[in-house]
Amino acid sequence: MTGKPPHDEVLALEDLHVTVHDGAATAVRGASLSVAAGEIVGLVGESGSGKTLTCRAALGVLPKGCAVGRGTISFERQDVTDLPRRDWERLHGTGMGAVFQDPASYLNPNLTVGSQLAEVLRVKQRLSRRQAHRTSVELLAAVGLHRPDRVFHQIPAELSGGMLQRVMIAIAISCGPRLLIADEATTALDVTIQAEIIELLRDLRDQRGLAVLFVSHDLAVIRELCDRVVVFYAGEVVESGPVGEIIERPRHPYTQALLRVASVGDFQRRELQVIPGQPPRVGADIAGCRFAARCPAAIEACRSRAVSLAPLSPVHQARCVRVTDPELSAAASPGAAELAAR
Amino acid sequence: MTAQVTATEATATAPLLEVAGVDVTLGHGWRATQVLAGVDLDIWPGEIVGLVGETGSGKTTLARTIVGLIRPRKGRIVFAGTEVSGLRRGARRRERRSGHVQLVFQDPLRSLDPDLTVAEIVGEGLAIRGEDARQVANQVADALTKVGLDATLLDRTPGQISGGQRQRVSIARALAAGPRLLLCDEPVSALDASNRNYILRLLRELRDTLSLPIVIISHDLSSLAGIADRVVVLYRGRIVEDGPVSQVFSEPRHPYTALLMASAPSVGGSSGSSGSSAGQALTVRQLRRTAADPPPPDGDTACVFAARCPFAIDAPDACASQPSLEPVGDRWTTACHRHTEWRDLAAHRPSP
Repeated sequence: MTGKPPHDEVLALEDLHVTVHDGAATAVRGASLSVAAGEIVGLVGESGSGKTLTCRAALGVLPKGCAVGRGTISFERQDVTDLPRRDWERLHGTGMGAVFQDPASYLNPNLTVGSQLAEVLRVKQRLSRRQAHRTSVELLAAVGLHRPDRVFHQIPAELSGGMLQRVMIAIAISCGPRLLIADEATTALDVTIQAEIIELLRDLRDQRGLAVLFVSHDLAVIRELCDRVVVFYAGEVVESGPVGEIIERPRHPYTQALLRVASVGDFQRRELQVIPGQPPRVGADIAGCRFAARCPAAIEACRSRAVSLAPLSPVHQARCVRVTDPELSAAASPGAAELAAR
Repeated sequence: MTAQVTATEATATAPLLEVAGVDVTLGHGWRATQVLAGVDLDIWPGEIVGLVGETGSGKTTLARTIVGLIRPRKGRIVFAGTEVSGLRRGARRRERRSGHVQLVFQDPLRSLDPDLTVAEIVGEGLAIRGEDARQVANQVADALTKVGLDATLLDRTPGQISGGQRQRVSIARALAAGPRLLLCDEPVSALDASNRNYILRLLRELRDTLSLPIVIISHDLSSLAGIADRVVVLYRGRIVEDGPVSQVFSEPRHPYTALLMASAPSVGGSSGSSGSSAGQALTVRQLRRTAADPPPPDGDTACVFAARCPFAIDAPDACASQPSLEPVGDRWTTACHRHTEWRDLAAHRPSP
């Protein structure tokens, strides 16, 4: 995190632009972020903020009609932005693994989960049938499944959502990747299971030195797991920094708003906050700050020109005209929050 | 909040809805599984009840049983003095069409017909009831106003509006029927935090303005803390705890409630803990079974939670038999043999 020696950078996105609808609109507008070995970086934002497109670009699996318009994607310091399809396929599994929200839809319902895990090992690692079986059972145990030899022979329908997500994680890490991308991987799970999966991801990072990019719309989940957080709004990074600092002293009004709506965890009755308004349409042409229309602290200067990401410390950045304005911290106080809520 | 509850309870002498000893079995023959076992639940006028539990605990089945989509195998459901579970065909259909009890289904994207417009969705039930077009249009407009939706959305289909708006359409559809009890199945689980809070606030406003009792099914306890008056915790088809939100959430009496609370993520300082106001905060590790714990009692008669409970002891007069719901406070019940002991035991377990 902060005081560590220079990172062993695994993934780096530099000024990434992703266009959608065959180039008609830009959904991700100049996102830069990096993930180092042994580090868990959280990506947070509302639905439609470009989190998933960023992940898919980093995995080289953008959907049809979407393309990287500008910027670079580096994996282990190699530029992979324009990598041919075959080379991407070689990276998948061995270099990077991914887990998504709905594990059941990524598994074949008719095959045992063990055979699907062993298949990956046989194709990617060229293991023999026997070796693949043995390694699969070890992996199923490593992701915390009880009686892995029995789970090996079960089909997806016989496993719960949490168990399936563990199987997906086993497949994602089966070929020893250095990077794991988890896109809303715990969103569909029960809270008790979510807590277990968060622990598992943390253990995998500790044991294998995995770099993890963890995407969620819930700042509370990010806080539980991540070292650093990158806040997305309408396709742009609006703030990034160490989790503790962002939670305690958020500098961008959008991050402050996200914190007000997040769960505090003391189970006390309090006024439920909302962020008024809607995010702009994808590709909307906005001269100034993209959050200005919903921002309680917006002034004239916010709307007139584009705002750049300003460094507040070597590790903390925010994209806000008023970031050094003492009044802005006043806007974050509960009184103003109440006014902003309605 | 307390004032609200006492005020409504002072005026009401009987619960609006009584669920008594309900057993539900789904499937037939060897596939038959018991989903609900001996569920007792009263809903009083004007209260918001949070129904929590994990996937497969029977939350949705209970809601569907209350609205009459599933017939209980045993027990009875009494709504406003009428036993609705025993009604025969015609009477049952009349009761259902009266719209007294409305269910807002899980996942509006899948439960709303993608080919119908918002106006058609909200008005469909009224049209089936045989009301004329003008009346339907008025009631549709009225229901949309109540949920804060603009009339410009009337001609859109569910695919053309946002997730938060879709959820409000589902609620408007239920309100148009003029319900006396509203059940919402996971109304916020698909939404982000801001939209989640918006919908919960809307539900509370509906309770306040229409004095409509609402049951909110959710697996997220922390959002319920903001609006519910009472919380009911379901585990594998049985109610394990039922009590006032403020009390249950400050000192849960069932270890499963405590585990749910400790598991909830938060941005606050005391993350991963439960019952902080009780002096000591318990962590997930203190509430979860480990390999070092003595084997739990098993068999059909054991407490449903025993297999996951670190405090279960294999004795016939304790956790090897299913505990019944016992009062532990004013309008507060729990089903745990060791409800007076486990908290101390948990506090002595190692926490990382």
